[in-house]
Amino acid sequence: MNADQWARLKEVFAGALAQPVASRDAWLQQACGDDTELLKEAEALLRAHETAGDFLEQPAAFDPSDLDTLAEGTTLGSYRILREIGRGGMGVVYHAYDTDLERDVALKTLPPALANNSQLRERQRREALAAARIKDAHVATVYALAEIDGHMVMVSEFVEGETLRSVLNRGGVGAGRAHEIARSIAVALAAAHEAGVIHRDLKPENVILTPKGLIKVIDFGIAHIETPGADRITIPGVPLGTPAYMAPEQLRGGSVTSRADVYAFGVVFRELLTGRHPLSRQDPAAVPPRFAGIIARCLKLDPDERYESGRELVTALSSDASAPIVSYERTLVGSPRWWWEFHQAAAATVYWIMTWPAWTGRQIIGGATGRALFIATLIGVIVAANLRLHLWFTSRFTPSELRRARRREGTWIRAADWLFVASLAVTGVFVGEDRSPVAIVLLAVAVGATIAFLIIERSTARAAFRNSATPRELRHP
Amino acid sequence: MPLVYDELRRLAARYISRERPGQTLQATALVNEAYVRLASERPREFANKTHFLAIAALSMRQILVQRARAKKAEKRGGAPHRITLDDRNLDGANLPPAIDMLALDEALTRLEAQDAEMARIVELRYFVGLTVEETADVLESSPATVKRHWAMARAWLKQALDSDVHASE
Repeated sequence: MNADQWARLKEVFAGALAQPVASRDAWLQQACGDDTELLKEAEALLRAHETAGDFLEQPAAFDPSDLDTLAEGTTLGSYRILREIGRGGMGVVYHAYDTDLERDVALKTLPPALANNSQLRERQRREALAAARIKDAHVATVYALAEIDGHMVMVSEFVEGETLRSVLNRGGVGAGRAHEIARSIAVALAAAHEAGVIHRDLKPENVILTPKGLIKVIDFGIAHIETPGADRITIPGVPLGTPAYMAPEQLRGGSVTSRADVYAFGVVFRELLTGRHPLSRQDPAAVPPRFAGIIARCLKLDPDERYESGRELVTALSSDASAPIVSYERTLVGSPRWWWEFHQAAAATVYWIMTWPAWTGRQIIGGATGRALFIATLIGVIVAANLRLHLWFTSRFTPSELRRARRREGTWIRAADWLFVASLAVTGVFVGEDRSPVAIVLLAVAVGATIAFLIIERSTARAAFRNSATPRELRHP
Repeated sequence: MPLVYDELRRLAARYISRERPGQTLQATALVNEAYVRLASERPREFANKTHFLAIAALSMRQILVQRARAKKAEKRGGAPHRITLDDRNLDGANLPPAIDMLALDEALTRLEAQDAEMARIVELRYFVGLTVEETADVLESSPATVKRHWAMARAWLKQALDSDVHASE
């Protein structure tokens, strides 16, 4: 088309557009006269204009997901790529086969182009470290972090199964199974939070149900780690990540704690129970009353009003929600667990009472020796008796934490026991020279306490914790 | 010119490496940031924003076309069908329908030969995301003229791209 023809075309096209839609064709025919070539061109343009819609009206955009990918069958060191299974904040995740150890693995790769960036490398390293710290059957295990052919690669357990999303899409699960799944997720979160890791992107897509019925939470450490400024270039109207499961403070880009995971957990649990997202427009489905309180607390807008961490969620889900704080009555009187609890309380009481004869002993002995012996006794009493009372309380009111508490406090209690009986016995020997009644009490209690913690307590503990078959433990293994 | 281009590329690479799938990054955001940076670093060279925008528009077009070309080459290399995490989400991102960047570039080059001003308008409107008024400012033209030319350029390119599709079918 020469310049004149083009100028003519511009003129008639502009002229036609100035006309009302209905009369444009007639106007064009008249304007072009016998120049059929021009008419043909102009009409074609007019048709294109009518069908253009918002063609080019949205400014050009980058699609950040076009990262380099590895083709099926490619090998990366000893790993053979089987297929791509997803994309994280900056890398691609593959299902691969480890030809050395002959097992399936999941590879999260940072492609060479990005692996050159020291900041991204460091981030990937920290993610792997964080994820590797979590040790729990409900969390995929991290095997290795390696650099192969320029790729930064994080190797972890490949979890086979179906995502919770597809289970939900198929119609969901019953309340009993929902409770089981939720508890497994809570256990995984508890393990993560105790390792100092926040998931940040918990959603049904990240929960896998294995063919054996196990629940695994994936993408720990694959989940995006916030970087300053990263949230500032969001485009209005384009969803960022998975906002539907993000806590309000996370959506605002504020600092995120384990309580954000608790919020996401609440959304997932509610969806599990009702089959619907809490913010869905469909009429609200009822949550079974026994879980309503737990979910409401997870979804509090103020993070401080939510459960603090996965551990608290586990506790909340473990104490039967229909009758939350009555586990006190559940230890059957006379059961091994009851005797164990009784022993803890009784020992603590006796220890405290013994400070009185120990004080008398100090006055009789006098001087630095007396004072030192009394202080030793007192330290023993304070540590051993108070930690025992703590165990007693834990056993009654937060039984799910008891195992941990016993492991943590056992050594201290034992050390304090020895300090207590030893200082009591020595005081008894010193006093024995002139005031026999006090000496007898001191020596007798020292011997009695030794027998109590060495023999009796061991028996009650063994009976109470031999297996999980005590009445209460049966309720939440 | 290379300076603007390099800065835009650098910014694009940085943002893309940070973003999550399903999220798009508009050229407009990059151009604005590149301008703020360059204008503060070299105020003498980039004091004139309209001049800068004209350069940025061309640079952005080149960057997007190069990316599209690289992506196409990779596809020929036999990369498997991708399932992104977003595909599994309930409500995927509402992205505008994909435009064949290479075909658009080719058509735009043809349009440029016919009518250079129209091609500039397309670069500024589409590759930078300027409004009609802003485009008129940069080109020292009137909004009415820009609007008229924009309508014709859009129709012309649409026609060119549609006939490409038919030709390849």
